[in-house]
Order: sequence, then C-alpha cells, then structure tokens
Amino acid sequence: MGKIVSIHSFRGGTGKSNTTANLAAQTALVAGKRVGVVDTDIQSPGIHVLFGLDENSMGKTLNDYLYGKCAIREVAYNVGEHADESGGRSQLAGKNLWLIPSSIRGREISRVLREGYDVGRLNEGLQTLISDLELDYLFIDTHPGLNEETLLSIAISDALLIILRPDQQDFQGTAVTVDIARSLDVANLLLMVNKAVPNKYDYVHLKEQIEKAYHAPLTGILPLNFDLADNASKDIFSLAHPDHEWSRELRKVAAAILAVE
Amino acid sequence: MSDEIIRLKKAFMFQGLPEDVLAALAQKVNRRALTQGETLFNTGDEGDALYIIDEGWVKVTRQDEKGDELLLNRCGPGETIGEMSLLDQEPRSANVVALSDAHVMELHRDGFFELLDQRPDVAMGLIRSMSSRLRFSGMYFQKMGEWSRKIAEGDYSFMEQIQPLTGGDSNSDEEKASQMLSAFFLMVKGVKEREESLKRQVETLTLAIDEKKRRQEFEELTQTEFYTKLKIQAHELRQKRLDNKS
Ligand SMILES: Nc1ncnc2c1ncn2[C@@H]1O[C@H](COP(=O)(O)OP(=O)(O)OP(=O)(O)O)[C@@H](O)[C@H]1O
Ligand SMILES: [Mg+2]
Repeated sequence: MGKIVSIHSFRGGTGKSNTTANLAAQTALVAGKRVGVVDTDIQSPGIHVLFGLDENSMGKTLNDYLYGKCAIREVAYNVGEHADESGGRSQLAGKNLWLIPSSIRGREISRVLREGYDVGRLNEGLQTLISDLELDYLFIDTHPGLNEETLLSIAISDALLIILRPDQQDFQGTAVTVDIARSLDVANLLLMVNKAVPNKYDYVHLKEQIEKAYHAPLTGILPLNFDLADNASKDIFSLAHPDHEWSRELRKVAAAILAVE
Repeated sequence: MSDEIIRLKKAFMFQGLPEDVLAALAQKVNRRALTQGETLFNTGDEGDALYIIDEGWVKVTRQDEKGDELLLNRCGPGETIGEMSLLDQEPRSANVVALSDAHVMELHRDGFFELLDQRPDVAMGLIRSMSSRLRFSGMYFQKMGEWSRKIAEGDYSFMEQIQPLTGGDSNSDEEKASQMLSAFFLMVKGVKEREESLKRQVETLTLAIDEKKRRQEFEELTQTEFYTKLKIQAHELRQKRLDNKS
C-alpha cells in the first residue's frame, strides 16, 4: 500500500509547493518509485507551474472530480509522458510521476470558496488514485494554515512534513500543527527548515532547539536561495541544479521520507 | 663607446667611473633577459653574483609561513640587487621576481671583489646605495609599527589613504613604504573580515513558544464537530489500511 506524505506549513510562502515538487521528482527519478502529487491548495493552486502546466495544457482538474464531473483517474496528468526537451524536468521523461492539479479558473476557485466540497470524497479519490496507479508515494501539497481540507490531508497521512522558516512566528505556528498531527495519530512527523539565510545563525543550535521543542527530526535546513526565487517556479530546481546546497539538503529530506516505514 | 659601457654608466654604483674601468668591467658582466614573472633568485639560494638592473622592474619579496607574500621593495633601472650575499656570504635573504620583461647585468663574486680592490670609489657608491636602502627599511618598519598599532586599536581608516605610486623618483620613502606594505595590511583586513563573518555565524536564534496561546489555538481547532468526526474517520481509515496489509 502506497504512503501518503503531506507537506504543510503554518504560514504561506514557506516553499511547500517547491519542496513538494522537488521531493516528488527525486522520489520518482532517483528512487525509481511510482509517485503522485496532489495539489489540495484549491484556493491558490501553484504546483502545476513547476511541472510546466498552464491553463491551456491543463485538462481535467481535481475540482471536476470533487464536483462529480469525472473520475479521479482522468485528472492524473502524466508528467513523465510530457517531460520537456530541456531543463531539469527533461530528466523526468519516462518516469512514473503523475500530477493531480487544481483548477486555476477563477469561477471554479470561487465555487470552492463559496460552497466548499465533500472532504470525504477527496479522501476516497486519493485512496482510489493510490490503488489505480499503484503508487508507492502520494505527495500532497496543502494550503497553509489549518482549514478542513488540510486537517483531512494531515489525518490521512502516513507522514507529515512540516516546513518552517527560522523565525518566531513559524516556530509558534508549527507547535500547534505538531499538536494537531499527534492528536490525529500521524505516525511519522518530519520537519524541514527553508529560507535559512546562510551563515546567519548557528544552525546546529537551531536544530537542537527545534527537535527538542517538537520531538521530531529536522531532516534538512534549506538555504534562502536567490537562484530558486529567480527561477520563478519554472523548473524543478534540484534537477536543474543538483550541486546547489539547497538541492543537497532537499535530498536529505527525500531520504528521510524514503526511510519512513 | 660600446653599448655595454653605456649601460654600465647608468648604474648608480658605477657612477663617476672612468671609461677604461667600465670597459674592463664590461668584459666581466653577462647581460641576462628576464621575462615577466620570472624568478631571478629565491630566499635561501646560494648567492655568488650581484645584478644591476638595466631595463624593467623587479620586486623584492619574502613569504611568511602561510605562503602569503610580503612586498619589501620594488627596484628599477640603475639599481643594484643581490650584493648583500656577496658581502656577507650568507644565502639570499629575499625573492626577486621580474615585474615586467627586464634585462639585468650579472657580475660574479670574483669580478666584484677585483673591482672593489681597485676602486675605492665603487665601494663608496655601494655604501651610499646601501645606506639609502637602510633608510628605506627604517621607514618601512616605522610604518609597519604604526599601522600594526592602529590595527590593534581597531582603526583601519588609514587604508583608505594609501596612494598608488606615481613611479619614478618623485615618491618619498614614506609613500613607497606605504605602498609596499598596503598589500600586507589589506590581507590583515581580509583576515579580520573573515573572522567577523565567522562570528556572525555563531549568532544564536532563540525561539520561544507561548504555551498558553498554543493550547488555546489547539482547543479552538479541535472542539468542532468536523474535527471530532475527522478523528474517528482517520482512526477507521488507518485500521482498514492495517487490516489490508495483514
Ligand atoms: N529557499 C528559498 N529561497 C528563496 N526563495 C524561495 C525558497 N523557497 C521558496 N522560495 C520562493 O518563495 C515563494 C513561495 O514558494 P512556494 O510557492 O514553493 O511556497 P508555498 O509555501 O507553496 O506558498 P503558498 O503558501 O503561497 O502556497 C516562491 O516565489 C519561491 O520561488
Ligand atoms: Mg503553494
């Protein structure tokens, strides 16, 4: 049975989408696993851009499934079949990697905001996806904060990766998320720091502090990376720049996820 | 007058020598070409010749144990280098490297002492040039002491005032010594900056959790009907998956 790994952060803009896409790519490419990526950030989807999808190339979306317009299998976009000729993404050609995007059409987004949707159906869809595509891993990119669909994705996860920036606000917010994950019996809790300014802090000390406060392993400290920001989410950074410190740390996080029993 | 004699005439050490002496001397010197960057000799080498610079420039340097170069002097046309080893029979005390393509005239020990025997005025010229080198060394070490003291006090402002050399003789010993020492002190400044950046690195970020706020937020989130249902659902789901596995 495939594992569900949710990537979450208390506040927005911590790098969830970039991290999720890179972890999924590493898992599919390096570890040769069958991998799915779901964008459950229905209010502000974003991860599709990293896989080179735009409004024109996007077919059916998670929204269509949630409102009963299609089966979940029809939404899965085969990244390996559509890999670019060049860039980091080209390495994904022929790999078993599927993306389940959220709609980027204004009308469909506002319907979700207005009416909500049945989270039970989301759950069913994800389970179906795992068995239909015989996934080893299903990565879920979430909306920041703790709304209902995020609580659901945490609840059904085998592992939860919480991303935080090295600052007070994220430290506080992460504490609440950790409590929720424990209350929902998530078996594996992993932490990751992103946007750490190189050489600014004593990161060994920071790691000790974080692990002591949350009783969970800090699996990587990813630096603030202007090249990544510059890339404007157009490519999978760790594939395009494997020797960058950011990519090296990301692979540590990927290894920690692969080690989850 | 042969080319060789004209060249020898330009050397400060041989100034005032009559032409017949220069002609005899010309038989004893070899003209050697140096390409830019070529080493004439290194610290510790045996020294059995002195050199008179005919064209171009050389630098006189020493290396500290880390391999960083300390620039001691820069010498140009007319100046003599390497005479110390001939006089005190010790190995070379510095490295000499061509700063540009250059030509030097090499005079071996025997020829040199023969000349000194015959011409006390050459000895006088040599002593004069060594005195002026000593004066320069005095200034050099005075500057070094002055700047080291400033650095010990944390004052690096003097570095901004170091002027580039204009070349020729118009530079005073002080200007010249400042220039020579600037590279060394810039390196010292670099070391200080590296140390500071290392110090910055050990800045610690101390994070605190407001436990009251944490409990409040947790309760707000979990005391809903949705959450209670979700918890049960999640439990059932995990149970089902466990059953599937076994
Ligand atoms: N380590 C980093 N260094 C610099 N910029 C980064 C880094 N990680 C992510 N970013 C940038 O920060 C922005 C947010 O990243 P991303 O979309 O991955 O975060 P997110 O958590 O998914 O955001 P949201 O909460 O809006 O969904 C993007 O512009 C991205 O390029
Ligand atoms: Mg996002």
